[in-house]
Amino acid sequence: MMSEKVAIIAANGGLFDAYKVFNIATAAAASEKEVQIFFTFEGLNLIHKQGMHHLEMPAGKEHFAEGFEKANTPTIPELVEMAQELGVKFIACQMTMDVMGLTKEDFVNGIEVGGAVTFIEFAKNAAPTLTF
Amino acid sequence: MIKADHHLDAKGLACPMPVVKTKKAINDLEEGVILEVQATDKGSKADLTAWASSVGHQYLGTVEEGDVLYHYIRKGSDEPKVEKAFERIISFEELESRDGLILDVREGAEYAFGHIGGAKSIPLGELESRMKELDKDEEIYVVCRTGNRSDLAAQLLADNGFTKVYNVLPGMNGWNGKITKEF
Repeated sequence: MMSEKVAIIAANGGLFDAYKVFNIATAAAASEKEVQIFFTFEGLNLIHKQGMHHLEMPAGKEHFAEGFEKANTPTIPELVEMAQELGVKFIACQMTMDVMGLTKEDFVNGIEVGGAVTFIEFAKNAAPTLTF
Repeated sequence: MIKADHHLDAKGLACPMPVVKTKKAINDLEEGVILEVQATDKGSKADLTAWASSVGHQYLGTVEEGDVLYHYIRKGSDEPKVEKAFERIISFEELESRDGLILDVREGAEYAFGHIGGAKSIPLGELESRMKELDKDEEIYVVCRTGNRSDLAAQLLADNGFTKVYNVLPGMNGWNGKITKEF
């Protein structure tokens, strides 16, 4: 029996990372899986109110901007909204927020703040658990 | 052209949007209806096939026209849970040596993506109004996907004076013979 839970760890803050995280998350949620994403360290960029609008491509890969446009990919803020609409739960890492001096208000609405244990508890019977 | 009850325009959208839009669209539909998803994302065929089987819908098939992929999905793969009531049943093996009409009562889109050659298509929902197309003197073998809709159709025909009616079991998902496609 396949698990009905998908656990994702978002630990990086670039544009490519964001697409990997949110494409898998929305696809899983659309397939009626229960999905949680744990945002930690640079991963917090992906749900930062301002930051998510200005995610960068890896150095030297900027020329892919045209490709994104041509493929008509949804923007990251659109994917964030879509994911939340589909019931994907976002958990921001408390420890990273403390280190970086961020508060819940710096992030999109509807997130939860928790520690690693919160996520581990969810992930213990999730399959797959993915790290980006 | 394949008949669908609902159409979803997902053209120009990249992954994962075709699947996300399909999920949203299908939520509002009733069980058993046919959704046509129009997409240009080449990956949408593999994605929707996998998605449908994972969440329990019936992926029927895809037709390509130019750059556009037309995907057909029937909501819910569970057939109506009815106790099969029609007693005169027949298997595909027994059917081989007999004359008569094979009547396929699945939806038009299901028929289009694979039916027994020579079978006549009248979806269950249209049977009452189209019964006059059938001959009471001919043997009629009613088939659907799993034998449930055909059971209801056979009862309906019997109630209307058709005496030479059989329900074919198990139905098309047990059919290993040649398949005719028609679109």
